[in-house]
Amino acid sequence: MEEIKSAIALVGYGLGAIGPGIGIGIVVGNAISAMARQPEAAGMVRTTMFLGIAFTEALALIGFVLFFIA
Amino acid sequence: MEQLILASGGCDPANDIICRPDNVIELFEFTDSLFTIGPLHFTRTVILIFLAMFIVIGLLFFGLRGKRMVPSKFGVTIESLVQFVRDEIAIGIIGPEGIKYYPWLLSLFMFVLVGNLFEITPFINFPITSRMALPLFLSLLTWVIFVFVGFKKNGLGYIGPLIWPKTVPIALRPLVGLIEFVSTFLLRPLTLAVRLFANMVAGHLMLTLLLVSGWVFLSSVGEIGIRSVIGIPWFVFGLGIFVFEIVVAILQAYIITLLSAVYVQSSVHPEH
Repeated sequence: MEEIKSAIALVGYGLGAIGPGIGIGIVVGNAISAMARQPEAAGMVRTTMFLGIAFTEALALIGFVLFFIA
Repeated sequence: MEQLILASGGCDPANDIICRPDNVIELFEFTDSLFTIGPLHFTRTVILIFLAMFIVIGLLFFGLRGKRMVPSKFGVTIESLVQFVRDEIAIGIIGPEGIKYYPWLLSLFMFVLVGNLFEITPFINFPITSRMALPLFLSLLTWVIFVFVGFKKNGLGYIGPLIWPKTVPIALRPLVGLIEFVSTFLLRPLTLAVRLFANMVAGHLMLTLLLVSGWVFLSSVGEIGIRSVIGIPWFVFGLGIFVFEIVVAILQAYIITLLSAVYVQSSVHPEH
């Protein structure tokens, strides 16, 4: 029973990491294209990119903790 | 010898394939204390927290001591770090009044940075921020500061537009208000703490797993002979992760400071 619970928690974390993975990809990709178009705005774009990554990855981190708790 | 040894406590390597801690409680609770002074229990983590505090105080004191015409390299490094937190984070995010919050942001940044870098310091190899108590306390401090600032700057006008937003259709206002309330007052401190904690725990686990299993394979060369070369890729991979963890440690210290500044900024100017 314990092994099944751990395995399901692991699958759940894997599923939970899909969305943030896609989201971080979109955020970083758009930040790169913005920096390539306007290199003089690179500093501002980089700060905003880290913010976007930090907000997007929250779900994956909650999934990570739930994997441990389960 | 096909076992991976992750935790030694309460683990019988002869039976289990992978030994892991019994439950997650180990990451949250105090372990056995090394020594006790009155009601205070000193574990290894507590000693490392004090060590981090003294390192931060020492860095800032000796780095910024005196005004010299030509500062030393060490002084320039510390000065650029301080200037980065002040100009890029405090003033850059919060605005001109961010200079008021800059001592708190600087101490948060330096403490978390030193605590994270303990992960990859030889002979310490333990990030103090991978115990939940520390990031949780730091993020609760942030929570207290941004809620206090919000109410002080805006009065009830801080919470009013949050739970009854005027810009959305009236039928949706209770739902949006509930979501905003939960995400601002409950999820913000939680994710702020969990982000730092989870990144550090994951890095620490990966380093421990790879380097220890590499070491176990290589050191048992007498028993298993040529098969112990399987430890070499483990070791190389572990060293690669080691470099990656330096970046993660610095980036997470930056991100927790940046997000704290953003939360304070959203309390100072709630309409933006």
